[in-house]
Amino acid sequence: MTLSRTDLPAPVRSRAAREVRRPSILGPRSLVHPPAVGLALVTPAVLFVGVFVLAPLAFAIYISLTSWPLIGSYRFVGLSNYVNIFEDGAFWHSVVYTLTYTAIVTLPILVVGYLMAVVVRANRRGSTALRTIFFLPYVIGLSTLSFLLVLEAQPGSGAVNLVLKALHITDGQTAWLVNGPAATGLICVLVIWAVSGLTMVLLISGMQSIPRELYESAEMDGASWWGREFHVTIPLLRRAIGMSLILSVIGSFLAFSQFYILTQGGPGRATTPIVLYIYQRAFVQLQVGAATALSIVLVIVVALISAGQFWLLRERD
Amino acid sequence: MALKRREFLQVSALAGLAATLPACGSGILAEPDVTAAGFGEAARGTVTMWCRGATQAGVQVVIDKFHASQNQVHINLTPVPDGQYVTKLATAIRSGDVPDIVDIDDINSMLFIYRGVFTDLTSLVNALPYRQHMSPGHLRLATDNDRIYAVPYLADNSVLWYNKQLLERAGVDPTKAVTSLAGLLEAARRIHALGPDVYAWSIAGNSPGILGFVVQPHIWATGTDNISGTLGSQRGHVEGNEPLRKTLEFYRTMWQEKLLPAANYADAGTTWGSDFRAGKIGFFPSNYAATVVGADPAARARTGVTLLPGPEGGTAFFDGGDNLCIPRGAKNASGAWQFAKFALDVQQQQLLPAGGYTPVRGDAATGPFRQKYPLNLAPLDHLDRGYAPVTLAYNLLYNQPDSPFIAMFRRAVFSGDVDGALHAGQQSYDQILQQAQL
Repeated sequence: MTLSRTDLPAPVRSRAAREVRRPSILGPRSLVHPPAVGLALVTPAVLFVGVFVLAPLAFAIYISLTSWPLIGSYRFVGLSNYVNIFEDGAFWHSVVYTLTYTAIVTLPILVVGYLMAVVVRANRRGSTALRTIFFLPYVIGLSTLSFLLVLEAQPGSGAVNLVLKALHITDGQTAWLVNGPAATGLICVLVIWAVSGLTMVLLISGMQSIPRELYESAEMDGASWWGREFHVTIPLLRRAIGMSLILSVIGSFLAFSQFYILTQGGPGRATTPIVLYIYQRAFVQLQVGAATALSIVLVIVVALISAGQFWLLRERD
Repeated sequence: MALKRREFLQVSALAGLAATLPACGSGILAEPDVTAAGFGEAARGTVTMWCRGATQAGVQVVIDKFHASQNQVHINLTPVPDGQYVTKLATAIRSGDVPDIVDIDDINSMLFIYRGVFTDLTSLVNALPYRQHMSPGHLRLATDNDRIYAVPYLADNSVLWYNKQLLERAGVDPTKAVTSLAGLLEAARRIHALGPDVYAWSIAGNSPGILGFVVQPHIWATGTDNISGTLGSQRGHVEGNEPLRKTLEFYRTMWQEKLLPAANYADAGTTWGSDFRAGKIGFFPSNYAATVVGADPAARARTGVTLLPGPEGGTAFFDGGDNLCIPRGAKNASGAWQFAKFALDVQQQQLLPAGGYTPVRGDAATGPFRQKYPLNLAPLDHLDRGYAPVTLAYNLLYNQPDSPFIAMFRRAVFSGDVDGALHAGQQSYDQILQQAQL
């Protein structure tokens, strides 16, 4: 017969509990080092995180509870910055626009990235050059590409209009950046082209880790090329595809530079995503308190969406 | 002594909080004593100055002259891009490290004055012997509760330029045509009838700043503004604003009848004035810099100028330009004021047209000046017609790409939905003004 903890008399139970708890003041007691050593080792990291992450976050939360203008004095306003978000039509317009933009670009980025990965996954001659070419737009960066597109989208003189005119699609005078839907379409094309390279890289590493034998077995079972992609590659790329989608959605939610450079949110508010709206509240309207409250809401929303994606894309054994 | 985990976390939290607290503060710095004996005279040392990137060349000329005139005060000039000026100055004030003097767009002056971060210059400005000759529009933008926080420095005004040769060929008398929008429309039709490549009017239809600069004076000419109420409780005056409606309808009619070049639709101001200087445009609402500075002698000779009319009479011009302000916390405010007085001397003011600007002193229009710069005189001779709204939200309402004024203008003029544009404009004006005055 063995005694369980509840079978012991009370004084013995409490002594046992003390014995269990005592080493847990700074975690399990090391057999070879005194606790001070562990404390000294983690202190730099704790200080770093405290000063550069937790303190700014706490300060941001404090700012969001004030009327903090960029100029002049401020006062504590409680939760009114958060309450005002519900009545801020411009913010909700930017939310809807960001969701629309995210919905437009997410799937094409994945599909284009996947197709590019398929083209270059085999170590054939020229694959390395193609990988470099496909990944180059991502290396150049959205900001640089956006500045180039400002010039190339000009009516009459930009390459976009000249090409479309040569193909007899338009008259070459389209003012792309002056029209909300046209500007959105142009920005989406730019982003899909620029960001698909990253998806390609993420997927290639996953594709190359799939054992060749699986494809050979599928082929012997009579699976076509499409069958092998759908029944072998895609299921085994679940994690890589999930990570690509999460990065893509987060990137779309935090989109800023391409809109700031190409349209500055205009015409009107037609192309204003959330982050650009927050930037305008902080540095154009000079309302840092209200903008910080919006930022904190955005952080929470992005975290929830990412958590939801992780949950949806989790492995189901 | 061993530190327990709970104590360690408490100490860390306190340290983090302590690290954040120095960043908190009112943001209001100490005000220089402008009443001190000898203030603004025989100062010494370095004066740090910020100017808008657009005015750097003109300001540098005055600084060079100032340095040549004395050797006790040295001006250290920092140009700041126009689009970043407000944000950078606000950040500098928040950090407590401010320039001694700032050359700031007069329309943005009130943004800082209202927050109490500029030095009260009332006694200094009122003591200037030429006080009554200074631009009242500039001073209005620098005045809060009867206290003056800036001194006018240079003017950048919107007026109506016209091609005298085209008007003559079309049989248009500018003194009669430019008295109402109906008269201008009739003249515009006759000018466009001269030929398919001749247009009556030109405007940068995709530039928010330019649209606010050249369209609003038509409304102000009637004594009305698109903003109503006093600072702190302003709201939009858009729906029911008849001068605004008539102005938008005037432009709508010109667009429909193709009296404006098609390129106006997408023109963001990058080639502003080039078509007028080429002699293809009858009327051109604009400023001196875009119209005259880059024009050859023949183009200048055929150019006439007048103020912008209201729908049924009256005249106005946009009283834009720069003010000089001394931020609270300035380390060499005395040297800054000494330089400001130098920059306001008639000799320096008369240099401004060379850089594309207009003096802010009416008494700068001396005989030789009139002979040298005849196209610079229209606003200078009518300083009382200058206006610009005193508001905390000018940038948001007019200068940003997402501003309601450009959205309203484009919807009314290019899409033809005047009622919808005014309705949406009213909502946007109210929302922006409410947020800006929190």
